[in-house]
Amino acid sequence: MAQWQEVQSLANAHLEQVHQLYAGAALPMAVRQCLAAWIEDQNWRQAAEPLSSHARMLFHSLLALLGERLGSPGLGDEDFMLKHNLRKARRDLQAEFEECPERFANLVANLLQEERRILRLGQAGGQGGAAPAPSPAPESGREQQIQRRLAEFHAALQEVERAFRHLEDLQDAFDFCFKVHYVPGEDKTNDPQYARQLQALQAKLQTLDRQRREVLAQMQQLLGRSERLQEFLQQELGDWRERQQRACMGAPADTRLRPLETWFTELGQGLFQLLQLLRALGELWQKVTYERDPLKAETPLLEQRLKEQLTYLLRRAFVVEQQPSMPNPFKRPLVLRTASKFSARARLLVRLHDRNHHMEAKIHIDRDPPKIKGFRKFNILTSSSKTLLAGDSPQEGLVCDFQYLTLKEQKDSRSGKGSKGAGEGPLVVTEELHIITFTLAYAYCGLELELETSTLPFVIISNTNQLSSAWASILWFNMLSSDPSNPKEQQFFSAPPAAPWPRLAEVLSWQFESVAERGLAQEHLLMLAEKLFGSKPSPESTVSWPKFSKDGAAGFSFWAWLDGILGLLQEHLKPLWKDGLILGFVSRKQEKKLLKGKWTGTFLIRFSESVLGGVTCTWVEHPESGPPAFRAVVPYTAAELASLALPDIIRDYQLLVEENIPENPLRFLYPNTPRDEAFGPYYSQRQEETLTEQKRYLNRRLIRVSSRQANESWQTEEELVVATENLETLQLQPGGPGTQQVTSGNVGTLQPLSPGTGQVMVTSLGTLQPGGSGTLQVTSSSLGPLQPGGSGTLQVTSGSLGPVQPGGSGTLQGDAHVLEPPQPLQVGPGVPEMLLPEIGDLVLQLVPEGQGTLQVGPGDMGMMQGLPGGLGTLQHMGPGDQGTQRVGPGVVEQQLVLQLVPEGQGTLQVGPGGLGTLQVLPGRLGTLQLVAGDTGVLQPVPGAVEPLLVPEELPPELRDLDLLPGSPDMQELLQSLVNGPESGSRTLETLEPAELMPNIPEAMDGGLDPRLAGSAALLAPHDPFLPQSEDAAPAAVSSLFTTDFPPLHIDTNDFQ
Amino acid sequence: TEAIGLYNVGQSCCLNSLLQVFLMNIHFTGILRRIMIPRHAAQMRRNVPYQMLLLLEEMQHGKRKAVFPTALAHCLSAYRVKLFVQHDAAQLFLTLWNVIKMQMGKPELVEELSDLYTICVQEHLACQKCSVETKRNSSMLTLPLPVLDSNSHKLRTLENCLQYFFHPEELTDHNMCFCEQCGRKTPFLQSMRLVHLPKTLTIHLKRFCFENSAYIHKLSHYLPFPQDLDFSAVLTEDQCQADANEKAAWQYELFAVVAHSGSTSCGHYCAYIRSLTERKWYCFNDSEVCQVSWDDVKCTYGHPSLHWAETAYLLMYMKKQLQ
Repeated sequence: MAQWQEVQSLANAHLEQVHQLYAGAALPMAVRQCLAAWIEDQNWRQAAEPLSSHARMLFHSLLALLGERLGSPGLGDEDFMLKHNLRKARRDLQAEFEECPERFANLVANLLQEERRILRLGQAGGQGGAAPAPSPAPESGREQQIQRRLAEFHAALQEVERAFRHLEDLQDAFDFCFKVHYVPGEDKTNDPQYARQLQALQAKLQTLDRQRREVLAQMQQLLGRSERLQEFLQQELGDWRERQQRACMGAPADTRLRPLETWFTELGQGLFQLLQLLRALGELWQKVTYERDPLKAETPLLEQRLKEQLTYLLRRAFVVEQQPSMPNPFKRPLVLRTASKFSARARLLVRLHDRNHHMEAKIHIDRDPPKIKGFRKFNILTSSSKTLLAGDSPQEGLVCDFQYLTLKEQKDSRSGKGSKGAGEGPLVVTEELHIITFTLAYAYCGLELELETSTLPFVIISNTNQLSSAWASILWFNMLSSDPSNPKEQQFFSAPPAAPWPRLAEVLSWQFESVAERGLAQEHLLMLAEKLFGSKPSPESTVSWPKFSKDGAAGFSFWAWLDGILGLLQEHLKPLWKDGLILGFVSRKQEKKLLKGKWTGTFLIRFSESVLGGVTCTWVEHPESGPPAFRAVVPYTAAELASLALPDIIRDYQLLVEENIPENPLRFLYPNTPRDEAFGPYYSQRQEETLTEQKRYLNRRLIRVSSRQANESWQTEEELVVATENLETLQLQPGGPGTQQVTSGNVGTLQPLSPGTGQVMVTSLGTLQPGGSGTLQVTSSSLGPLQPGGSGTLQVTSGSLGPVQPGGSGTLQGDAHVLEPPQPLQVGPGVPEMLLPEIGDLVLQLVPEGQGTLQVGPGDMGMMQGLPGGLGTLQHMGPGDQGTQRVGPGVVEQQLVLQLVPEGQGTLQVGPGGLGTLQVLPGRLGTLQLVAGDTGVLQPVPGAVEPLLVPEELPPELRDLDLLPGSPDMQELLQSLVNGPESGSRTLETLEPAELMPNIPEAMDGGLDPRLAGSAALLAPHDPFLPQSEDAAPAAVSSLFTTDFPPLHIDTNDFQ
Repeated sequence: TEAIGLYNVGQSCCLNSLLQVFLMNIHFTGILRRIMIPRHAAQMRRNVPYQMLLLLEEMQHGKRKAVFPTALAHCLSAYRVKLFVQHDAAQLFLTLWNVIKMQMGKPELVEELSDLYTICVQEHLACQKCSVETKRNSSMLTLPLPVLDSNSHKLRTLENCLQYFFHPEELTDHNMCFCEQCGRKTPFLQSMRLVHLPKTLTIHLKRFCFENSAYIHKLSHYLPFPQDLDFSAVLTEDQCQADANEKAAWQYELFAVVAHSGSTSCGHYCAYIRSLTERKWYCFNDSEVCQVSWDDVKCTYGHPSLHWAETAYLLMYMKKQLQ
């Protein structure tokens, strides 16, 4: 908007000031209004210079314009008064300023300036009245300031150019007059006209001299301005360099160069323009000069000052836009490998160049190598020079982009690594810092410069396994180097400084942020600090380079450990870490504190401290009595996670405890998110619905299972889950505990030679033939014969079928509706067998020499048929159970025991020649049916109140309820089952709560698993899976300290 | 009042800068306006304070962008302040001040002027053998601060320069002095203690280095100075010889910076002055005047790679008004 219009729109208070301004002014407001645009367009300030002809010209133009207006038809009769005023003003002005138009010019200049001042006040006041201007963000504030300064610089530059053109005019005028009038050598002092002419010439020279000084003053002012502007730009560039360095270390930072490039180019443009102007000034004084010519004295100074500025600007404007980097999954720059391709790019931020002049950029590696013994020398194999390309679009700027560079080590026989000598010892490869220098022969507008810029120091490795420690060096250097661009810093690792913890913490956090988009939280850092310092860090705590990258009690350094975790995150755990599902860095102590008050089955995921790149789950279990137990699975590393992702492991994780009920102990993610709610989004797709479509293949799924080993108290043992396809036979490697799995749709034979778990999933068929002890899980509608050579467990879930043909000892676990149609389970000779509850209608046939226990869960019916020579126990778990135990005819040796727990119902049928014991717990009802020739004992447990029904037809000698028959076998069996040391008495104690459980849902909510808790004591001492009596004690916390565990998973330091 | 420029009338940038520093100082102009007006035209032409007053009037009432200090420059040339000659601003400041003081006319004004600018220090010389101590009070117009220490290391800040300036120095070897009591030359400890600071304090950064007499070069390294300076915090107890009241008043804020650009042989002066009435910074480059900010003033700290750029040479601090 034009100034006068703005003035008119001012608030009243400020308008009043304008009225006052014009009340006493020689220029009437009417004239100001009438010729507003023209007045504002003229340079009155310049015209106000003394002895300026410009002022006279302006003054007469104004009078003429006023005259035109008066004569124009635009002003009608209604403007009679205005016309009158203008006419009067014209007359007055002419009278007052005809002799001194400079005074008039000065007057107008001052008036305009005063108007602007009032305007500023008015506008500032207007804003201030509305609301205090919100302070802009510091970033944008700086940007705005630079923009404003650039605009001011360019405006001032234009002003100088105007002044310069005026100077040219004055000089031409003077030059002309001088050549015309000044005739040296002739004595014309007496010629009055000549004297007058000389006087005029003298005056012209005075004017010229003043204008020269004026231009010089403006130039000085402008150079001061550009110096200050440059300072701001350099500051921004310095900030950019820092940002780039941080970005190299993985920090999130804005490394765009575009704004800087724009500013540098604009300033450069202005300075080059000024250089041209200075040269033109030089030409002016070469044409006309005189004694004490200010141009002659000062232009050299100005040119020096300007060139220095330009040089500085250009030198600094040559930057490494992309630090040398080779492609790698971590996007870690500054680590290069010999013979691997890498790229680097430099950019000249001043986008000014001569299209006809090609500028060449070159690169050199270690142009000035540090004097370190054994410092390796390298050659750049690919071309080391390149023409600076401008690109056709101005957007691209001046870049020299070196791609596909490769390095090769110079082999020098004399300076091998092994050579001994004085001076510093040779640095290891990953501590050797190298630098690439870009040089550019810049030429523009007669200014020729050799520009150069260097990359940040980088590490050259020859093997990928050096990458991690090389990166540690890069981090250390960039974190701590006081002056990264100083070539002396190549010797940084001769004496690497220690890192202040706060700085290191920040850098470590960036590593996680760049790998998995989430940095380290305060708690993480605290744990790391405690790991490093053994105590809470103080702001002054420092970490030395060896402590960070070299020393390590566990066989690896702090950094190696951390980088292992980073690798694991990068490859397998990114989303989980990013979304905060991994608590990650938790000390043992802290872990217990967190989990202690949580429900059983609350778990957290943390990184292993003893295994490189390991992650594990720790969960809490609350036994009925005693302190809570914390359990952790042996850490998973990238090798395991490659076959099965962590969320899927968590979903399907199974723990096989002594009781042989596999179940997932991971129920709530800390603090209390249900497992599937937390991990649901990360599970891989199940393919259950394809059952009908994929007739040819049965579904399969991998899961992970742990079994708790008897001799390792609470410690879980991780087992390998392997997928099998169609009738494949998998053989587990001896020595390693493992799990074999037959997933849906497959038929497989599992032959673990060592303790293992075989899983037969939905609609699959599996045969378990363990050489050692093994578990065969048969899930719904699958079939699993168990043929253990050693001891084995067969778990049968609903709808599945599981004949057991054990060579050794085996356990058969069954869910409801197994075995339809009911099919007998056969227990081989000499093999104790155990059937777990919830099997449904189950018949256990004990073949000769076989020994079996049948546990029948609530609502189930089980029948144990003892064939001659078989030995069996039928245990009833809960209410509504019915168990029948039949002893086949003619099986004299057969000994059958039927235990009835409260509300269980049982019949013990003893075939001819069989031997049977019926143990009835309080509140039980038991029938002992004896076939002729059998021996039966009905043994009421103390406290049982129910009367025992004893069939009338029992021979009287067998009705003796107090005494057990004299058979030693019988004695032994009963001893172990009922009165055995420790286990016998506990049978009763632990059974009672266990039976109560199913009727008390709260107990379930509390996280207690009744079956787990209660059944522990049900185990027959013969079962090879069971702990020996001394191990049967509840896990004590002290057992955490067991150190004879091969993969050390617990750092004993954690417990200090 | 808006700041008005002064035309360069023949390498007068140094004079112009100093004149601006004087005339923008309202405490100085308060004295200047009360001077005795000379009776005769010839006296008027030769009287520097009077010419300064005329110039001040012209600047304040002319409503021009700049005025010519021609008359004053001619007047000064009688006092060996020549035009078309490069001057050293520190030197010229002393000359100007002394001429003004000499021609002030009224003794009470002379005293006021002295009070306004004079720094009082006490020099101590103590014999290290017999601990005889001699004291001498002296006054100075500027604190000539070295920017390098005795080992030619760059001092980092203005505060460091001040501390170094007031740091005791041992005079040993060929610097030993004759001790009357010992009757021979003994090592002495020489120290300077600050007694009194004036309202307008002038600090001279000795950026011109006479390393070997033939070659003078300029030290353009980075040396920051604060906008607010508390002398009692900068100097130690031993470096002061003043009572609590005096020291409490040692709170200063920056008023002006006379900056030099170029080399020793050929350069240019400009002045950054903070108007005491408007409290805004201006940059005076002869006839060119523009409003600037503290950030601009900071650019005169010096720069390691720009040797021709503006660097602060004289610093004028103004005592803060006690509330």
